[in-house]
Amino acid sequence: MSHGTQYVVAAYAVIWFVLMLYVAVVGLRTSRISRELELLARLVERRKADEQAAQAEGQASSSPATRP
Amino acid sequence: MTDLAVRLRGKGSALWALVAAVLSVVAICGVFLVAPEDADQGIIQKIFYFHVPIANTSLVAFGVACVAGILALRTRSPRWDEVLTASIGIGLLFAGLTIVSGSIWARASWGHWWRWDDTRLTTYLIIILIYAAFFVLRSSVEADRRARFSAIYAVIAFASVPLSFYAVRIATSFIHPVVFNSHGANLPDSMLVWFIVSQAAMLAVFIAFLLLELTQRRTESSLRRLRLALDA
Amino acid sequence: MKPRPLRQLRALVLKDLRLELRTRDTVIAMILFAVLAMVLFQFGFGTRQSDLTKFAGGLLWVTLAFTAVLGVGRSYVAEREQRVLDGLLVAPVPRMVLLVAKAIAIVGYLIAVEILVVPLLGVFFINGPFWSDIGWLFLSCLIADVGIGILGALIASLALFTRARELLLPVLFLPLLVPLVIAAAGATNAVAGSAHDLVQYRNYCLFLVGYAVLFGLVAYATFEAVFDD
Repeated sequence: MSHGTQYVVAAYAVIWFVLMLYVAVVGLRTSRISRELELLARLVERRKADEQAAQAEGQASSSPATRP
Repeated sequence: MTDLAVRLRGKGSALWALVAAVLSVVAICGVFLVAPEDADQGIIQKIFYFHVPIANTSLVAFGVACVAGILALRTRSPRWDEVLTASIGIGLLFAGLTIVSGSIWARASWGHWWRWDDTRLTTYLIIILIYAAFFVLRSSVEADRRARFSAIYAVIAFASVPLSFYAVRIATSFIHPVVFNSHGANLPDSMLVWFIVSQAAMLAVFIAFLLLELTQRRTESSLRRLRLALDA
Repeated sequence: MKPRPLRQLRALVLKDLRLELRTRDTVIAMILFAVLAMVLFQFGFGTRQSDLTKFAGGLLWVTLAFTAVLGVGRSYVAEREQRVLDGLLVAPVPRMVLLVAKAIAIVGYLIAVEILVVPLLGVFFINGPFWSDIGWLFLSCLIADVGIGILGALIASLALFTRARELLLPVLFLPLLVPLVIAAAGATNAVAGSAHDLVQYRNYCLFLVGYAVLFGLVAYATFEAVFDD
Protein backbone atom coordinates (compact mmCIF):
# COMPACT_ATOMS: atom_id res chain seq x y z
CA MET A 1 0.00 0.00 0.00
CA SER A 2 1.63 3.21 -1.09
CA HIS A 3 1.38 6.38 0.94
CA GLY A 4 -2.12 7.83 1.15
CA THR A 5 -4.10 4.91 -0.22
CA GLN A 6 -6.47 5.09 2.74
CA TYR A 7 -7.35 8.67 1.81
CA VAL A 8 -8.10 7.77 -1.79
CA VAL A 9 -10.30 4.89 -0.64
CA ALA A 10 -12.03 7.19 1.85
CA ALA A 11 -12.69 9.88 -0.75
CA TYR A 12 -14.17 7.44 -3.25
CA ALA A 13 -16.18 5.70 -0.53
CA VAL A 14 -17.68 8.98 0.65
CA ILE A 15 -18.57 10.06 -2.89
CA TRP A 16 -20.35 6.85 -3.78
CA PHE A 17 -21.91 6.53 -0.34
CA VAL A 18 -23.51 9.97 -0.64
CA LEU A 19 -24.68 9.37 -4.20
CA MET A 20 -26.30 6.09 -3.12
CA LEU A 21 -27.78 7.87 -0.12
CA TYR A 22 -29.50 10.21 -2.53
CA VAL A 23 -30.92 7.22 -4.37
CA ALA A 24 -32.14 5.87 -1.03
CA VAL A 25 -33.90 9.15 -0.28
CA VAL A 26 -35.57 9.06 -3.69
CA GLY A 27 -36.57 5.45 -2.99
CA LEU A 28 -38.12 6.43 0.32
CA ARG A 29 -40.14 9.16 -1.34
CA THR A 30 -41.24 6.74 -4.05
CA SER A 31 -42.45 4.30 -1.44
CA ARG A 32 -44.49 7.06 0.16
CA ILE A 33 -46.05 7.91 -3.19
CA SER A 34 -46.78 4.23 -3.76
CA ARG A 35 -48.46 3.99 -0.35
CA GLU A 36 -50.64 6.99 -1.05
CA LEU A 37 -51.53 5.64 -4.46
CA GLU A 38 -52.57 2.35 -2.89
CA LEU A 39 -54.82 4.20 -0.45
CA LEU A 40 -56.40 6.16 -3.29
CA ALA A 41 -56.95 2.99 -5.30
CA ARG A 42 -58.68 1.38 -2.32
CA LEU A 43 -60.78 4.48 -1.86
CA VAL A 44 -61.90 4.40 -5.48
CA GLU A 45 -62.70 0.70 -5.23
CA ARG A 46 -64.70 1.16 -2.05
CA ARG A 47 -66.67 4.03 -3.55
CA LYS A 48 -67.44 1.97 -6.60
CA ALA A 49 -68.58 -0.92 -4.43
CA ASP A 50 -70.76 1.43 -2.38
CA GLU A 51 -72.30 2.86 -5.52
CA GLN A 52 -73.07 -0.58 -6.89
CA ALA A 53 -74.56 -1.66 -3.59
CA ALA A 54 -76.71 1.50 -3.54
CA GLN A 55 -77.86 0.87 -7.07
CA ALA A 56 -78.73 -2.75 -6.33
CA GLU A 57 -80.58 -1.67 -3.22
CA GLY A 58 -82.43 1.02 -5.17
CA GLN A 59 -83.50 -1.49 -7.78
CA ALA A 60 -84.57 -3.94 -5.07
CA SER A 61 -86.64 -1.31 -3.21
CA SER A 62 -88.13 0.34 -6.27
CA SER A 63 -89.06 -2.81 -8.13
CA PRO A 64 -92.05 -3.78 -5.93
CA ALA A 65 -93.51 -0.27 -6.23
CA THR A 66 -93.35 -0.24 -10.01
CA ARG A 67 -95.01 -3.57 -10.21
CA PRO A 68 -98.70 -3.20 -10.81
CA MET B 1 -49.20 18.18 -20.97
CA THR B 2 -49.31 16.29 -24.22
CA ASP B 3 -49.89 12.57 -24.28
CA LEU B 4 -46.45 11.98 -25.73
CA ALA B 5 -44.82 13.75 -22.80
CA VAL B 6 -46.86 11.62 -20.44
CA ARG B 7 -45.83 8.47 -22.21
CA LEU B 8 -42.15 9.44 -22.15
CA ARG B 9 -42.26 10.50 -18.52
CA GLY B 10 -39.58 8.87 -16.43
CA LYS B 11 -37.93 7.03 -19.30
CA GLY B 12 -35.11 9.56 -19.59
CA SER B 13 -33.87 9.06 -16.07
CA ALA B 14 -33.53 5.32 -16.62
CA LEU B 15 -31.57 5.86 -19.81
CA TRP B 16 -29.27 8.45 -18.27
CA ALA B 17 -28.78 6.33 -15.15
CA LEU B 18 -27.57 3.53 -17.41
CA VAL B 19 -25.20 5.91 -19.22
CA ALA B 20 -23.94 7.19 -15.87
CA ALA B 21 -23.37 3.68 -14.56
CA VAL B 22 -21.41 2.59 -17.62
CA LEU B 23 -19.33 5.78 -17.72
CA SER B 24 -18.59 5.57 -13.99
CA VAL B 25 -17.33 2.00 -14.27
CA VAL B 26 -15.19 2.92 -17.28
CA ALA B 27 -13.86 6.02 -15.48
CA ILE B 28 -12.96 4.19 -12.26
CA CYS B 29 -11.28 1.36 -14.13
CA GLY B 30 -9.40 3.84 -16.29
CA VAL B 31 -8.32 6.02 -13.38
CA PHE B 32 -6.99 3.17 -11.27
CA LEU B 33 -5.83 0.63 -13.83
CA VAL B 34 -4.76 2.59 -16.90
CA ALA B 35 -3.86 6.17 -15.98
CA PRO B 36 -0.23 6.63 -14.89
CA GLU B 37 0.54 7.49 -11.30
CA ASP B 38 1.36 11.14 -10.68
CA ALA B 39 5.06 11.78 -10.19
CA ASP B 40 4.71 14.23 -7.25
CA GLN B 41 1.60 13.16 -5.45
CA GLY B 42 1.48 9.43 -6.09
CA ILE B 43 -1.80 7.71 -5.56
CA ILE B 44 -3.34 10.70 -3.72
CA GLN B 45 -3.71 12.42 -7.07
CA LYS B 46 -6.42 9.87 -7.98
CA ILE B 47 -8.85 11.89 -5.85
CA PHE B 48 -8.52 14.67 -8.40
CA TYR B 49 -10.26 12.60 -11.09
CA PHE B 50 -13.56 12.76 -9.25
CA HIS B 51 -13.12 15.80 -7.00
CA VAL B 52 -12.82 18.28 -9.88
CA PRO B 53 -15.53 16.80 -12.13
CA ILE B 54 -17.93 16.81 -9.17
CA ALA B 55 -17.06 20.45 -8.52
CA ASN B 56 -17.66 21.36 -12.16
CA THR B 57 -20.90 19.42 -12.22
CA SER B 58 -22.26 21.37 -9.28
CA LEU B 59 -21.56 24.58 -11.18
CA VAL B 60 -23.39 23.14 -14.18
CA ALA B 61 -26.33 22.37 -11.89
CA PHE B 62 -26.41 25.95 -10.62
CA GLY B 63 -26.13 27.21 -14.19
CA VAL B 64 -29.08 25.04 -15.20
CA ALA B 65 -30.98 26.50 -12.24
CA CYS B 66 -30.15 30.03 -13.38
CA VAL B 67 -31.35 29.37 -16.93
CA ALA B 68 -34.48 27.71 -15.56
CA GLY B 69 -34.95 30.76 -13.35
CA ILE B 70 -34.80 33.11 -16.33
CA LEU B 71 -37.26 30.90 -18.22
CA ALA B 72 -39.50 30.73 -15.14
CA LEU B 73 -39.61 34.52 -14.97
CA ARG B 74 -40.33 34.73 -18.70
CA THR B 75 -42.99 32.05 -18.98
CA ARG B 76 -44.32 31.79 -15.40
CA SER B 77 -44.62 28.07 -15.98
CA PRO B 78 -44.45 25.97 -12.80
CA ARG B 79 -42.36 23.39 -14.63
CA TRP B 80 -39.30 25.64 -14.60
CA ASP B 81 -39.75 26.16 -10.91
CA GLU B 82 -39.54 22.40 -10.45
CA VAL B 83 -36.43 22.26 -12.61
CA LEU B 84 -34.58 25.00 -10.77
CA THR B 85 -35.42 23.72 -7.31
CA ALA B 86 -34.40 20.17 -8.18
CA SER B 87 -31.25 21.42 -9.87
CA ILE B 88 -30.18 23.54 -6.92
CA GLY B 89 -30.80 20.64 -4.55
CA ILE B 90 -28.61 18.32 -6.59
CA GLY B 91 -26.04 21.06 -7.10
CA LEU B 92 -25.80 21.47 -3.32
CA LEU B 93 -25.28 17.72 -2.98
CA PHE B 94 -22.40 17.88 -5.45
CA ALA B 95 -20.93 20.99 -3.85
CA GLY B 96 -21.00 19.20 -0.49
CA LEU B 97 -19.21 16.24 -2.06
CA THR B 98 -16.63 18.66 -3.50
CA ILE B 99 -15.90 20.00 -0.03
CA VAL B 100 -15.68 16.54 1.55
CA SER B 101 -13.47 15.03 -1.13
CA GLY B 102 -11.35 18.18 -1.29
CA SER B 103 -10.96 18.11 2.45
CA ILE B 104 -9.79 14.50 2.37
CA TRP B 105 -7.34 15.43 -0.34
CA ALA B 106 -6.05 18.36 1.68
CA ARG B 107 -5.55 16.04 4.65
CA ALA B 108 -3.70 13.53 2.48
CA SER B 109 -1.35 15.98 0.84
CA TRP B 110 -0.85 18.69 3.49
CA GLY B 111 -1.88 16.98 6.71
CA HIS B 112 -4.70 19.43 7.42
CA TRP B 113 -8.39 18.90 6.81
CA TRP B 114 -8.88 22.51 5.81
CA ARG B 115 -6.69 25.16 4.20
CA TRP B 116 -8.03 28.59 3.46
CA ASP B 117 -5.52 28.96 0.65
CA ASP B 118 -7.06 26.04 -1.21
CA THR B 119 -9.18 28.19 -3.49
CA ARG B 120 -11.55 25.42 -4.52
CA LEU B 121 -12.46 24.49 -0.94
CA THR B 122 -12.94 28.12 0.06
CA THR B 123 -15.00 29.04 -2.98
CA TYR B 124 -17.28 26.05 -2.67
CA LEU B 125 -17.87 26.83 0.99
CA ILE B 126 -19.12 30.28 0.00
CA ILE B 127 -21.23 28.79 -2.81
CA ILE B 128 -22.81 26.29 -0.41
CA LEU B 129 -23.71 29.13 1.96
CA ILE B 130 -25.27 31.09 -0.91
CA TYR B 131 -27.34 28.20 -2.19
CA ALA B 132 -28.32 26.85 1.22
CA ALA B 133 -30.05 30.20 1.75
CA PHE B 134 -32.18 29.38 -1.29
CA PHE B 135 -34.05 26.73 0.63
CA VAL B 136 -34.45 28.99 3.65
CA LEU B 137 -35.95 31.63 1.36
CA ARG B 138 -38.19 29.10 -0.33
CA SER B 139 -39.59 27.77 2.90
CA SER B 140 -40.44 31.21 4.26
CA VAL B 141 -42.25 32.64 1.22
CA GLU B 142 -45.96 32.05 0.76
CA ALA B 143 -46.99 29.77 -2.06
CA ASP B 144 -48.15 32.49 -4.46
CA ARG B 145 -44.76 34.19 -4.50
CA ARG B 146 -42.57 31.12 -4.02
CA ALA B 147 -41.88 30.32 -7.67
CA ARG B 148 -41.14 33.93 -8.58
CA PHE B 149 -38.80 34.60 -5.68
CA SER B 150 -37.03 31.29 -6.14
CA ALA B 151 -36.37 32.15 -9.77
CA ILE B 152 -35.06 35.62 -8.88
CA TYR B 153 -32.78 34.19 -6.21
CA ALA B 154 -31.48 31.48 -8.56
CA VAL B 155 -30.38 34.24 -10.94
CA ILE B 156 -28.84 36.45 -8.22
CA ALA B 157 -27.00 33.52 -6.68
CA PHE B 158 -25.53 32.39 -9.98
CA ALA B 159 -24.33 35.92 -10.70
CA SER B 160 -22.36 35.82 -7.47
CA VAL B 161 -20.63 32.54 -8.33
CA PRO B 162 -18.00 34.05 -10.66
CA LEU B 163 -17.57 36.94 -8.22
CA SER B 164 -16.84 34.50 -5.40
CA PHE B 165 -14.40 32.57 -7.57
CA TYR B 166 -12.52 35.68 -8.57
CA ALA B 167 -12.55 37.30 -5.13
CA VAL B 168 -11.17 34.19 -3.44
CA ARG B 169 -8.48 33.91 -6.07
CA ILE B 170 -7.27 37.50 -5.82
CA ALA B 171 -7.36 37.28 -2.02
CA THR B 172 -5.22 34.14 -1.86
CA SER B 173 -2.89 35.24 -4.63
CA PHE B 174 -1.92 38.27 -2.58
CA ILE B 175 -1.20 36.12 0.47
CA HIS B 176 0.85 33.66 -1.58
CA PRO B 177 2.43 35.45 -4.51
CA VAL B 178 3.35 32.10 -6.10
CA VAL B 179 0.01 30.62 -7.11
CA PHE B 180 -0.29 27.39 -5.25
CA ASN B 181 -1.43 24.87 -7.78
CA SER B 182 -1.29 21.22 -6.89
CA HIS B 183 -4.41 20.48 -8.85
CA GLY B 184 -2.58 19.67 -12.01
CA ALA B 185 -3.30 22.47 -14.44
CA ASN B 186 -1.23 20.83 -17.14
CA LEU B 187 -2.34 17.25 -17.35
CA PRO B 188 -0.60 14.89 -19.74
CA ASP B 189 -2.94 13.35 -22.27
CA SER B 190 -2.86 9.93 -20.60
CA MET B 191 -4.46 11.52 -17.51
CA LEU B 192 -6.65 14.03 -19.32
CA VAL B 193 -8.58 11.28 -21.13
CA TRP B 194 -9.71 9.72 -17.86
CA PHE B 195 -10.46 13.09 -16.39
CA ILE B 196 -12.81 13.79 -19.28
CA VAL B 197 -14.44 10.37 -18.95
CA SER B 198 -15.15 10.88 -15.26
CA GLN B 199 -16.40 14.41 -15.99
CA ALA B 200 -18.84 12.90 -18.48
CA ALA B 201 -19.82 10.27 -15.92
CA MET B 202 -20.59 12.90 -13.29
CA LEU B 203 -22.60 14.96 -15.76
CA ALA B 204 -24.60 11.84 -16.63
CA VAL B 205 -25.18 11.22 -12.92
CA PHE B 206 -26.43 14.78 -12.58
CA ILE B 207 -28.80 14.46 -15.54
CA ALA B 208 -30.11 11.12 -14.28
CA PHE B 209 -30.70 12.57 -10.80
CA LEU B 210 -32.37 15.65 -12.20
CA LEU B 211 -34.73 13.65 -14.39
CA LEU B 212 -35.47 11.26 -11.54
CA GLU B 213 -36.25 14.14 -9.24
CA LEU B 214 -38.45 15.80 -11.85
CA THR B 215 -40.34 12.57 -12.52
CA GLN B 216 -40.92 12.22 -8.84
CA ARG B 217 -42.13 15.78 -8.40
CA ARG B 218 -44.50 15.41 -11.31
CA THR B 219 -45.79 12.12 -9.94
CA GLU B 220 -46.37 13.82 -6.63
CA SER B 221 -48.29 16.65 -8.23
CA SER B 222 -50.38 14.18 -10.27
CA LEU B 223 -51.13 12.36 -7.06
CA ARG B 224 -52.14 15.61 -5.42
CA ARG B 225 -54.47 16.36 -8.33
CA LEU B 226 -55.96 12.90 -8.08
CA ARG B 227 -56.55 13.31 -4.37
CA LEU B 228 -58.17 16.69 -4.99
CA ALA B 229 -60.41 15.25 -7.71
CA LEU B 230 -61.54 12.46 -5.42
CA ASP B 231 -61.70 14.96 -2.54
CA ALA B 232 -60.28 12.44 -0.15
CA MET C 1 -42.12 64.35 -20.44
CA LYS C 2 -38.62 62.99 -20.20
CA PRO C 3 -37.43 63.68 -16.68
CA ARG C 4 -40.45 62.18 -14.97
CA PRO C 5 -38.66 59.12 -13.59
CA LEU C 6 -35.99 61.45 -12.25
CA ARG C 7 -38.59 63.57 -10.46
CA GLN C 8 -40.19 60.43 -9.06
CA LEU C 9 -36.79 59.23 -7.93
CA ARG C 10 -36.11 62.53 -6.21
CA ALA C 11 -39.45 62.42 -4.46
CA LEU C 12 -38.87 58.89 -3.22
CA VAL C 13 -35.34 59.59 -2.03
CA LEU C 14 -36.48 62.78 -0.28
CA LYS C 15 -39.27 60.80 1.40
CA ASP C 16 -36.77 58.32 2.89
CA LEU C 17 -34.35 61.09 3.76
CA ARG C 18 -36.95 63.22 5.52
CA LEU C 19 -38.28 60.26 7.41
CA GLU C 20 -34.80 59.43 8.61
CA LEU C 21 -33.94 63.04 9.48
CA ARG C 22 -37.09 63.34 11.56
CA THR C 23 -36.77 60.12 13.51
CA ARG C 24 -33.05 59.37 13.22
CA ASP C 25 -33.62 55.83 14.54
CA THR C 26 -31.76 53.94 11.89
CA VAL C 27 -28.56 55.89 11.42
CA ILE C 28 -27.92 56.39 15.12
CA ALA C 29 -28.52 52.73 15.82
CA MET C 30 -26.23 51.77 12.97
CA ILE C 31 -23.43 54.04 14.18
CA LEU C 32 -23.72 52.70 17.71
CA PHE C 33 -23.71 49.17 16.39
CA ALA C 34 -20.61 49.79 14.28
CA VAL C 35 -18.69 51.36 17.16
CA LEU C 36 -19.75 48.52 19.44
CA ALA C 37 -18.56 45.98 16.88
CA MET C 38 -15.16 47.67 16.77
CA VAL C 39 -14.91 47.66 20.55
CA LEU C 40 -15.80 43.98 20.56
CA PHE C 41 -13.09 43.34 17.99
CA GLN C 42 -10.58 45.05 20.21
CA PHE C 43 -11.50 42.86 23.16
CA GLY C 44 -11.76 39.77 20.98
CA PHE C 45 -8.40 40.09 19.24
CA GLY C 46 -6.56 43.11 20.59
CA THR C 47 -5.80 41.63 23.98
CA ARG C 48 -3.38 39.15 22.44
CA GLN C 49 -2.14 41.34 19.64
CA SER C 50 -1.33 44.90 20.53
CA ASP C 51 -1.14 46.17 16.95
CA LEU C 52 -4.21 45.52 14.82
CA THR C 53 -3.04 47.61 11.84
CA LYS C 54 -2.65 44.51 9.68
CA PHE C 55 -6.28 43.58 10.36
CA ALA C 56 -7.70 47.05 9.66
CA GLY C 57 -9.39 46.06 6.41
CA GLY C 58 -11.06 43.00 7.83
CA LEU C 59 -12.08 44.89 10.95
CA LEU C 60 -13.64 47.72 9.03
CA TRP C 61 -15.47 45.55 6.52
CA VAL C 62 -16.79 42.91 8.85
CA THR C 63 -18.15 45.78 10.94
CA LEU C 64 -19.62 47.52 7.90
CA ALA C 65 -21.08 44.30 6.49
CA PHE C 66 -23.04 43.62 9.66
CA THR C 67 -24.00 47.28 9.93
CA ALA C 68 -25.21 47.15 6.35
CA VAL C 69 -27.46 44.21 7.23
CA LEU C 70 -29.03 46.39 9.92
CA GLY C 71 -29.53 49.29 7.52
CA VAL C 72 -30.91 47.12 4.74
CA GLY C 73 -33.29 45.47 7.18
CA ARG C 74 -34.59 48.85 8.28
CA SER C 75 -34.82 50.32 4.79
CA TYR C 76 -38.33 49.05 4.12
CA VAL C 77 -39.71 49.67 7.58
CA ALA C 78 -41.94 52.59 6.64
CA GLU C 79 -43.20 50.75 3.58
CA ARG C 80 -44.13 47.80 5.73
CA GLU C 81 -45.41 49.30 8.92
CA GLN C 82 -47.18 52.37 7.57
CA ARG C 83 -48.44 50.50 4.49
CA VAL C 84 -46.63 52.94 2.22
CA LEU C 85 -45.91 50.11 -0.16
CA ASP C 86 -49.53 49.63 -1.14
CA GLY C 87 -49.67 53.25 -2.22
CA LEU C 88 -46.35 53.12 -4.04
CA LEU C 89 -47.31 50.04 -5.97
CA VAL C 90 -50.58 51.57 -7.10
CA ALA C 91 -48.82 54.77 -8.17
CA PRO C 92 -47.56 54.84 -11.77
CA VAL C 93 -43.91 54.66 -10.76
CA PRO C 94 -41.58 52.38 -12.72
CA ARG C 95 -40.39 49.57 -10.47
CA MET C 96 -36.78 50.38 -11.28
CA VAL C 97 -37.24 53.81 -9.72
CA LEU C 98 -38.32 52.16 -6.47
CA LEU C 99 -35.19 50.01 -6.51
CA VAL C 100 -32.84 52.88 -7.26
CA ALA C 101 -34.47 55.03 -4.57
CA LYS C 102 -33.97 52.29 -1.99
CA ALA C 103 -30.39 51.71 -3.11
CA ILE C 104 -29.69 55.44 -2.71
CA ALA C 105 -31.24 55.40 0.77
CA ILE C 106 -29.04 52.46 1.81
CA VAL C 107 -25.93 54.14 0.38
CA GLY C 108 -26.92 57.23 2.36
CA TYR C 109 -27.12 55.29 5.61
CA LEU C 110 -23.75 53.69 4.94
CA ILE C 111 -22.04 56.98 4.12
CA ALA C 112 -23.38 58.46 7.34
CA VAL C 113 -21.90 55.55 9.26
CA GLU C 114 -18.58 55.59 7.40
CA ILE C 115 -18.01 59.30 7.97
CA LEU C 116 -17.67 58.44 11.63
CA VAL C 117 -16.33 54.90 11.54
CA VAL C 118 -13.48 55.31 9.07
CA PRO C 119 -11.70 58.06 11.05
CA LEU C 120 -12.41 56.06 14.19
CA LEU C 121 -10.65 53.10 12.62
CA GLY C 122 -7.58 55.28 12.17
CA VAL C 123 -7.72 56.50 15.75
CA PHE C 124 -8.38 53.13 17.35
CA PHE C 125 -6.43 50.62 15.37
CA ILE C 126 -3.91 52.01 12.95
CA ASN C 127 -0.30 52.62 13.83
CA GLY C 128 1.47 54.72 11.27
CA PRO C 129 0.35 57.14 8.61
CA PHE C 130 -3.38 57.09 8.10
CA TRP C 131 -4.78 60.54 7.45
CA SER C 132 -2.84 61.06 4.25
CA ASP C 133 -4.59 58.09 2.66
CA ILE C 134 -8.04 58.68 4.08
CA GLY C 135 -9.29 59.95 0.72
CA TRP C 136 -8.46 56.62 -0.87
CA LEU C 137 -10.23 54.85 1.96
CA PHE C 138 -13.39 56.86 1.49
CA LEU C 139 -13.28 56.30 -2.26
CA SER C 140 -13.18 52.52 -1.88
CA CYS C 141 -15.96 52.72 0.72
CA LEU C 142 -18.08 54.69 -1.70
CA ILE C 143 -17.61 52.20 -4.53
CA ALA C 144 -18.38 49.30 -2.21
CA ASP C 145 -21.46 51.12 -0.88
CA VAL C 146 -22.96 51.25 -4.35
CA GLY C 147 -22.70 47.47 -4.63
CA ILE C 148 -24.14 47.00 -1.15
CA GLY C 149 -26.95 49.42 -1.94
CA ILE C 150 -28.02 47.70 -5.15
CA LEU C 151 -27.82 44.18 -3.76
CA GLY C 152 -29.33 45.27 -0.47
CA ALA C 153 -32.33 46.92 -2.10
CA LEU C 154 -32.96 43.80 -4.18
CA ILE C 155 -32.59 41.33 -1.30
CA ALA C 156 -34.59 43.52 1.09
CA SER C 157 -37.48 43.63 -1.33
CA LEU C 158 -37.41 39.82 -1.50
CA ALA C 159 -37.22 39.51 2.27
CA LEU C 160 -40.06 42.02 2.61
CA PHE C 161 -42.60 39.35 1.72
CA THR C 162 -41.26 36.51 3.80
CA ARG C 163 -41.94 35.19 7.24
CA ALA C 164 -39.14 35.71 9.75
CA ARG C 165 -37.59 38.40 7.57
CA GLU C 166 -35.19 39.63 10.25
CA LEU C 167 -33.72 36.15 10.35
CA LEU C 168 -33.80 35.58 6.63
CA LEU C 169 -32.17 38.83 5.56
CA PRO C 170 -28.66 38.18 6.96
CA VAL C 171 -28.79 34.58 5.77
CA LEU C 172 -29.57 35.72 2.23
CA PHE C 173 -27.47 38.86 2.21
CA LEU C 174 -24.18 37.99 3.90
CA PRO C 175 -23.12 35.06 1.66
CA LEU C 176 -23.64 37.26 -1.40
CA LEU C 177 -21.62 39.96 0.33
CA VAL C 178 -18.56 37.73 0.85
CA PRO C 179 -16.81 38.68 -2.43
CA LEU C 180 -17.41 42.35 -1.70
CA VAL C 181 -16.00 42.06 1.81
CA ILE C 182 -12.91 40.25 0.46
CA ALA C 183 -12.24 42.97 -2.10
CA ALA C 184 -13.14 45.94 0.08
CA ALA C 185 -10.99 44.66 2.94
CA GLY C 186 -8.19 44.14 0.46
CA ALA C 187 -8.53 47.68 -0.81
CA THR C 188 -8.51 49.04 2.74
CA ASN C 189 -5.45 47.01 3.66
CA ALA C 190 -3.68 48.23 0.55
CA VAL C 191 -3.76 51.85 1.72
CA ALA C 192 -4.09 51.63 5.52
CA GLY C 193 -1.16 52.25 7.82
CA SER C 194 2.28 52.21 6.27
CA ALA C 195 1.05 50.21 3.27
CA HIS C 196 0.58 52.28 0.15
CA ASP C 197 0.10 49.87 -2.72
CA LEU C 198 -1.99 51.72 -5.27
CA VAL C 199 -1.77 48.99 -7.93
CA GLN C 200 -3.35 46.46 -5.59
CA TYR C 201 -5.81 49.09 -4.45
CA ARG C 202 -6.84 49.79 -8.03
CA ASN C 203 -7.39 46.09 -8.78
CA TYR C 204 -9.59 45.66 -5.76
CA CYS C 205 -11.57 48.79 -6.63
CA LEU C 206 -12.08 47.56 -10.17
CA PHE C 207 -13.46 44.36 -8.71
CA LEU C 208 -15.83 46.40 -6.55
CA VAL C 209 -16.99 48.32 -9.62
CA GLY C 210 -17.57 45.03 -11.42
CA TYR C 211 -19.55 43.74 -8.45
CA ALA C 212 -21.82 46.77 -8.49
CA VAL C 213 -22.27 46.61 -12.27
CA LEU C 214 -23.04 42.88 -12.29
CA PHE C 215 -25.62 43.08 -9.54
CA GLY C 216 -26.99 46.22 -11.14
CA LEU C 217 -27.65 44.24 -14.30
CA VAL C 218 -29.17 41.36 -12.35
CA ALA C 219 -31.39 43.77 -10.44
CA TYR C 220 -32.40 45.46 -13.67
CA ALA C 221 -33.34 42.10 -15.18
CA THR C 222 -35.22 40.65 -12.21
CA PHE C 223 -36.60 43.51 -10.16
CA GLU C 224 -39.69 43.88 -12.31
CA ALA C 225 -40.78 40.42 -11.13
CA VAL C 226 -40.47 41.12 -7.39
CA PHE C 227 -43.58 43.28 -7.10
CA ASP C 228 -45.41 41.65 -9.95
CA ASP C 229 -48.62 40.38 -8.39
